[in-house]
Amino acid sequence: MSSPTANEPTAGGVRFLGTRRDYWRLLSRGAVLLILTLGIYRFWLTTDVRRFLWGNTEIAGETLEYAGTPLELLIGFLAAIAILIPVYAGFFVAALELGPIGEISGLAGFAALFVLGQYAIYRARRYRLTRTIYRGLRFHQEGSAWGYALRAIAWWIATVFTLGLAYPFQLASLERYKMRHTYYGDLAGHFAGSGFGLFFRGLPMWILVVAPVALAVGAFVEAVDWTALGDALSQGGDDVMARIEGGNPALGNVIVFAMLMGGTTVSTAALLYPAFQALVLRWWTSGLRFGAFETRSKLRTAQVYGAYMRFLWWALVFSIGLAIASLPALFVIGLVSDRGTGGEIAATLTALAGYVIAALGYSTIYRATVMLSLWQLGMESLQLSGLSALDTVQARGRASSPLGEGLADALNVGGY
Amino acid sequence: MTSGAGIYFDGRTSARRDVRVTLAADTLHIDGADGRPLAQWRYDDVQELTAPAGVLRLGRHDSATLERLEITDVAFASAIDVRAILVDRTGALQRRQRASVIGWTVAATASLLAVAYFGVPALADRLAPLVPVAAERKLGDAVDLQVRARLDNRHLGAGFACGAAPSERAGRAALDKMMRRLSDAAQLRMPLTTEVVRRREANAVTLPSARIYVFEGLIKTAANPDELAGVIAHEIGHVAHHDGTKAVLQAGGLSLLFGMLLGDFIGGGAVVVAAKTVLQSSYSRRQETAADAYGAALMKKAGGDARALGTILAKIGGATEPGMAILRDHPETRARIAAIDRIAGPHPAHPFLDAADWAALQHICAR
Ligand SMILES: [Zn+2]
Repeated sequence: MSSPTANEPTAGGVRFLGTRRDYWRLLSRGAVLLILTLGIYRFWLTTDVRRFLWGNTEIAGETLEYAGTPLELLIGFLAAIAILIPVYAGFFVAALELGPIGEISGLAGFAALFVLGQYAIYRARRYRLTRTIYRGLRFHQEGSAWGYALRAIAWWIATVFTLGLAYPFQLASLERYKMRHTYYGDLAGHFAGSGFGLFFRGLPMWILVVAPVALAVGAFVEAVDWTALGDALSQGGDDVMARIEGGNPALGNVIVFAMLMGGTTVSTAALLYPAFQALVLRWWTSGLRFGAFETRSKLRTAQVYGAYMRFLWWALVFSIGLAIASLPALFVIGLVSDRGTGGEIAATLTALAGYVIAALGYSTIYRATVMLSLWQLGMESLQLSGLSALDTVQARGRASSPLGEGLADALNVGGY
Repeated sequence: MTSGAGIYFDGRTSARRDVRVTLAADTLHIDGADGRPLAQWRYDDVQELTAPAGVLRLGRHDSATLERLEITDVAFASAIDVRAILVDRTGALQRRQRASVIGWTVAATASLLAVAYFGVPALADRLAPLVPVAAERKLGDAVDLQVRARLDNRHLGAGFACGAAPSERAGRAALDKMMRRLSDAAQLRMPLTTEVVRRREANAVTLPSARIYVFEGLIKTAANPDELAGVIAHEIGHVAHHDGTKAVLQAGGLSLLFGMLLGDFIGGGAVVVAAKTVLQSSYSRRQETAADAYGAALMKKAGGDARALGTILAKIGGATEPGMAILRDHPETRARIAAIDRIAGPHPAHPFLDAADWAALQHICAR
């Protein structure tokens, strides 16, 4: 029992009680064990992370409790594999049977797995909700996971064809579906955010990101002599490129311009991403409702940039440490690499371990800085109202199966 | 200390109750502020649940509801800890459980790696002969499309396979003579088809559908008909051992082990690629050794010179030798030749083709 302030109930707000140091210790121990167990430890790490985040989030004086176990996740994963093996085997056999049009079956398989992924996302959310306990009652989720998957697919298609302009409406529609099937005990939730609200706030960012690409495409259409290009292509042969350049003298300049514009788009998108994340998080958490209970977010964009600055700082420190540590490793590789098979294996393992440590190190720093901050800021910036609605809730809902989590893991569509 | 304050949630409603908790001999009594008894928990059922630092959150093991009792007083919390077996505020129980989890997961990883090294090829060896001929043929046809696309040199002006033009027919007849002698000795369940393709490399490729592509460069490299027959006999070994089907089964098994069970973490992609490459090379080396043994034995059975496989390997292998031993998909050439010579032993050989037929075969890609 460390801090005496830890349990002073705050009447109307949300507090995050966890310390960065504890979270950091949990994640770094998890990263080491992930390497040692080649990833099998992930079920335990995921559970530890959720216990930490849930258990340290205090809403109106009471903390959430995560009641899921690693074994449930492991069993869910094994069940998912048992379902996916026949599916994958079926795709393989179909590809064999169809022969030359096997590539189409590959595409169909990809589409089927995408639908299954959306299904898994909804089922996994159900698992997490029914393992979330607050004031002695669990949350739960109704609704059909297939219904959600079909909606999600339709929206994804719309979003892709509108170059992302439909994305706010997709988020709003899918969140409405999720929240209207979400319950705290017998208290039904709903989502009050509107797609237009997000659309108009996000539109300036969209224009800044898309404009350079549009300029580049416009320049292409303007500069290219389409009849000459058509002639060059229709003749075929090995010197197509040379003839295209001959027919379109301005093409070289346009390509340079397009590359510059592409670079502008990528760097603008990277610079705006934290602002976009802040916008979506603020919009989303301002729309959550359970009966008369409402949340409003006061999240400031600068806070999210601060989280990314912390990430960059620690990533820089880690990179310097890694560079210093890799010098003796490189020396050892140089010594052993010509000592026969054993030396080869040692050198390969050293290089591989270096890569894995780097990748896992950066991702751990990201989780300990950006992801923890987003959770903490998202929660602490909430203003609650209608709290009395939470006082008279009756128990409802049962613990659901972890199959969705397993599928999400096997298909790599997992969240927290 | 046998009584203290707590917060109680009964698991049926969300109402928060300030309660008085009294520790009796076998049970823990929870009474409301008005003195009304709310619950009695046996110490053996009391379970500690995750909570922020400074809070002891208790529940009941196997309870139908999610009733919760929260204690914030340190001294009273340790008084409960002393009585309830499942509650352990020192963290020793948790550390023990974590240590056993770590021990078990590391052991599971080691055993899965052993399965990948020994189990996957052993399983593929058992399953491959059970795959129906029709399925093997379909698999071969699917691979054939890709192999043809990769090998095809048609834009150079000649057909894909040699032996069709009038000037090439004699060579084709000589090849058929050689193949008849080999397949009579081999007695396979699928008929063999052999094509010579216009490629300069000294190599040959076998598909699961018992189709063998001999590269023109191999015929140019062979000093005599028995050297060529030796390589083809080695390739027949791949057919007899169902190596193409085995490779597909092995790849499937490895994908299941790596990428799904193992290696699913950030940075794990490199581990998956490295492990798959090393393991598949090791499977392939075992298959090549087995095909060499089969090829030498088949040459002996067909009355040819079994050592010829070794002499042509010495010519082909030298160029492809450098690189890392664990990544090589063929065993070391000298070891292969020694093993072939051991099988061949001293025995009289009867050349596979006479001089005229051999000369014709050398011009099978005349056009
Ligand atoms: Zn071979």
